[in-house]
Amino acid sequence: MNLKSRLARLQTQAGSELTSPTPSNLRNRLTKIKTTRLHRQRITPCCSMSDATLADKVHGKLIAEGVIQIQKRIPLSRKLGKIELAGLQKQPHLPGETAVQSQRHVYIDTETTGLSGGSGTLAFLVGMAVLDETAILLTQFLITRFAAETFMLTVFAQSLTGDDRLVSYNGKSYDLPLLVTRYRMHSLSHPLEQLPHVDLLHPTRRLFRRQWPDCRLTTLEKNLLGFKRRNDLPGAEAPAAWFSYIRRGQGKNLIKVVTHNQQDILSLAAAHTRLSQAIEQPQRYQADCCAIARWLSETDEQGARQLLARSSASLSDDAKRLQAQLARRHGDWSQAIEIWQALAVRGCSDSVERLAKYHEHINKDLHVAKHYCEQLPEGAAQSLRLQRLNEKMHQQAIQPCVDDAISI
Amino acid sequence: MSIPAASFSIPNGVDTFDPADQLAARLRTDYANRITGELVMPATSGRYRPLPATLDPRLTDALHSRGIDQLYTHQAAAWESVQAAQNTVIVTPTASGKTLCYNLPVLQAALQDRAKALYLFPTKALAQDQVAELTALNETVSLGVRAFTFDGDTPGDARKAVRTRGDIVVTNPDMLHQGILPHHTKWAQFFETLRFVVIDEMHTYRGVFGSHVANVLRRLQRICRFYGSDPLFILCSATIANPAELAGELINRDVFAITESGAPQGAKHLLLWNPPVVNADLGIRASARSQTTRITKLAVKNGLKSIVFAQSRLMVEVLTKYLKDAFDHDPRYPARVAAYRGGYLPTERRAMEKQLRQGQLDCVVSTSALELGVDIGALDLCVLNGYPGTIAGTWQRLGRAGRRQRTAVGVLIASSLPLDQYIIRNPDFFLGASPEQARIDPDQLLILLDHIRCAAFELPFNEGEAFGKQQLVEMLAYLEEHGIVHREGKQWHWMADSYPANSVSLRSVAEGNFVVIDATAGAKSVIAEVDYSSAPMTIYPGAIYMIQSAPYQVERLDWEGRKAFVSRTRADYYTDAIDYTRLKILERFDEERPAQHAVAQGEVHLVKRFVGYKKIRYYSHENVGYGKINLPDQEMHTTAVWWQLNPLALNEVFCSRQAALDGFLGAGYALHIVAAMRMLSEPRDIGRAVGDGDAKWFATVGTNGRGQLRDTTGEALDPVQLIHFTPTLFLYDNYPGGIGITAPLYESRTAIVADAQLLVSDCECAQGCPSCIGPILASDEVRGYSPKQVALQLIALISTHES
Repeated sequence: MNLKSRLARLQTQAGSELTSPTPSNLRNRLTKIKTTRLHRQRITPCCSMSDATLADKVHGKLIAEGVIQIQKRIPLSRKLGKIELAGLQKQPHLPGETAVQSQRHVYIDTETTGLSGGSGTLAFLVGMAVLDETAILLTQFLITRFAAETFMLTVFAQSLTGDDRLVSYNGKSYDLPLLVTRYRMHSLSHPLEQLPHVDLLHPTRRLFRRQWPDCRLTTLEKNLLGFKRRNDLPGAEAPAAWFSYIRRGQGKNLIKVVTHNQQDILSLAAAHTRLSQAIEQPQRYQADCCAIARWLSETDEQGARQLLARSSASLSDDAKRLQAQLARRHGDWSQAIEIWQALAVRGCSDSVERLAKYHEHINKDLHVAKHYCEQLPEGAAQSLRLQRLNEKMHQQAIQPCVDDAISI
Repeated sequence: MSIPAASFSIPNGVDTFDPADQLAARLRTDYANRITGELVMPATSGRYRPLPATLDPRLTDALHSRGIDQLYTHQAAAWESVQAAQNTVIVTPTASGKTLCYNLPVLQAALQDRAKALYLFPTKALAQDQVAELTALNETVSLGVRAFTFDGDTPGDARKAVRTRGDIVVTNPDMLHQGILPHHTKWAQFFETLRFVVIDEMHTYRGVFGSHVANVLRRLQRICRFYGSDPLFILCSATIANPAELAGELINRDVFAITESGAPQGAKHLLLWNPPVVNADLGIRASARSQTTRITKLAVKNGLKSIVFAQSRLMVEVLTKYLKDAFDHDPRYPARVAAYRGGYLPTERRAMEKQLRQGQLDCVVSTSALELGVDIGALDLCVLNGYPGTIAGTWQRLGRAGRRQRTAVGVLIASSLPLDQYIIRNPDFFLGASPEQARIDPDQLLILLDHIRCAAFELPFNEGEAFGKQQLVEMLAYLEEHGIVHREGKQWHWMADSYPANSVSLRSVAEGNFVVIDATAGAKSVIAEVDYSSAPMTIYPGAIYMIQSAPYQVERLDWEGRKAFVSRTRADYYTDAIDYTRLKILERFDEERPAQHAVAQGEVHLVKRFVGYKKIRYYSHENVGYGKINLPDQEMHTTAVWWQLNPLALNEVFCSRQAALDGFLGAGYALHIVAAMRMLSEPRDIGRAVGDGDAKWFATVGTNGRGQLRDTTGEALDPVQLIHFTPTLFLYDNYPGGIGITAPLYESRTAIVADAQLLVSDCECAQGCPSCIGPILASDEVRGYSPKQVALQLIALISTHES
């Protein structure tokens, strides 16, 4: 097929009138000089799909030229993997969040034309979900041409209210900045930066970084929600899927992207519930108890101590150290010393040091302090401490004589 | 240093105890016969104007508190021009206070309207200097103007503050290209109120780099239009012939030029120095290197802070080694001599700049890397080891000495290269010539195409929009065909999953730097970077790669991964690569066929193969061995001018094919030199080759000093065996796609051939020498013909015009 007819076809698909591009001298020169850097796209003939057909196939409707809206209602009586969606009725909440009952959780996820960011990347699919009493209401906006982006962005902004709280997975560093860029490119206003935003990637990392090989959403689904996607199109292939529809009307993979995005959003909602449960019961979900306690202790030390006490049978050394530290801060020295002693026996030098300090400064038993100090790893810090102890002991030893002298 | 109006003169005696004056006097008396020309520029006093009445009082106070009560005339002129809303370029010498020319209007606008400014410097080091200076000015009277650098070193968490709070953002073209423009929405606030764009060291934006930068500025202007701003440009430049024209091409607007400096200047001596002849028969002179080390040693011993400029990174390392051998042999004392060149890591360079400023080093040996305005403090002597290739470049380097109004000495030492010899023997030419034109070609197809990709990523293209002087619609159609943009209605949108700016390097037409990794004793640390085009000649396996004159041997080159693994070695030699170049004519744009020859310009395909390297021992410079290089061929499409002979004329004039071949090679040598001079370009911008024009064979000068034919595999051929013998002499544009040298070269072909004839016939040597047709071996008498004579015969054939 020659260039002319190929160009003509592409332009017809894009909805523009035919112009007649002549194979030019300029083009010939470019083709000759550029030997390596660009690879010509192979275009295979296929039957091209119309927007109406695409809308049908994804069970959506065309709400404007080039904008397909897909709405789904998923009853809360359903299960997703091992998760009862009904759990979502009780608004999940994570440490540090102030629970505001009136606030609506809006779960969002986008599919984009590239992973590198920058002003040349756009979101061609924006998905969101909210809850009512009985169901998850899922809404997606899919565009099938560049010109439709303004409309989609406007509708999406209109579907948010000032009382919303956004919930995403990696949205803080990816989806949100990208959407903000798009609003700016079209000089549109948007509420995104004013809304509170919970990015579930961060708690997931806290709870499971040490337990899992990575914290991707699919890993979370497998380990926490208990299911594995079948026939899923990997997110990285989303850009190509959209490009093939735009260029050649190939919609097969784009349809899969729509399903993939729906799944992402459902998993997001389910993960929210499951994460708040894992914080209550770390052992049950093999979450990092120590990390949770540390996180809780930022706002609620009492809660953190209770959590550690509940899990005391299976605490890691790190968790025990934290427990001792919290006990010490609350003046519970006996609990702290008990933990440190247990750890010291196993060679934990941090605990040995804390015991040395305790006996030197609080308990004022210099001999015991010296005993612990001698177990510390050798080095400048240890020898300083030893020297100071020796001086103090020497002073204590001569003190009575001085007193005697004065009394005489 | 500006171009002197004074003619050169020999001053009588020395009436000062300035050590620089004394050194000049000593050189003059001890080596009178080596000095072919001298120029003394007396100290000049400053010309002043009062501070502008419209200047913001806070700014006036800040200037007063730094002891500035009046402006130099050029600073006042710049103020007036900018206030009249003219794009302005200022061309004045180093240390003439040019930064105030742009800082005043920028600070005024920041104080009064909170207007923003973007400063572009070619390097990070210069950007950091500038922010330090602005901060100092700001602190004296606390103006509350915030200046920040924004470059690859800016930490991620500080970037947002720079974008939103910076009044003046100081960056470099590469960062603007890769880090700012593709993310312009994050900078929306900044672009909306952008009032000034300042471009310092404008003269560095020429050739390939300049052509890229002009396109980056087109993109910047496009983004500014999107945000509704239209910034004014203030540019500064070292001396070039066409500042207003270059500025105009860079920013695509009319620019007003200010070229008269009002700043005072210290006295300067410039000596033109030709090394003595050591072999009169062969026309061989002592090396420039030996003279450079001698003069520099003398100066350093006398307590003069010195800078030496060398033409290549290799020569920098060799000279550093020789000077270190003299001054840094005792490891208990801190080093007095250092090398400075591209390829060192930034931290290392910053540390060296600091040592120089603080006077801890006595001598620095540098490539053109230090030519720019990096503040390295006061220097007394500047030695140029070889002619830098351009008049403007020579003055820029000489300007590094004597910044602080002291007497300074510059010595230009000629190498045996013909251009050097021409300059040194004709001091009038050099001292009287105007500096070169800086040329750019922003519409070079590959460069333009790269930036159209980047621009399409930043904002969709609209129908009727222009970008550059080529047909934008056709360029976009080409990109659409390759699935990079997509046309929809009246717009072209970026449609690829990539970030195009990352694959476009402003410094080259090729892509992908190599990193040099020190793998000594299992370690793995990056110690240098080498750009793609110089990789095949510097980091082939076996090469000695030098850093601070410490030799490393390349153990392994991972071509695909762009990595070279090196380890420390104790080699007493360095290595020099040998390349074979074959050209194939693809298309003739233009051709002329007088009776005896044909001359044409057009497009060629070039294949360069690096076949091996020579090991050259230090000091003795004898050849101590060869090694093989096995690397992928370097290919390039470019433009060329070529000459061929009518076969009848060839047979008639030359006694043998070998003689004709030697004629081609000798004439090519001379033509290359005069072409570089005529085109006012750097010699490396032009390449030369002799071949058949069909890439079947090519000719090089063999180890026996004679032309040697080789076939595509590099095997030697005997010219007598060939059925068709059509030697072709090429002068080609040394950049992929060409950077616009060959068209003017073809236009002035007659003058170039005439110049070459003069260069060769006027040369005093008997049979040829490095100053005319290239080096000749002693054994050449047995050829039976004079190499110089055959070269002249060839030149005569291609200069005939009767048809």
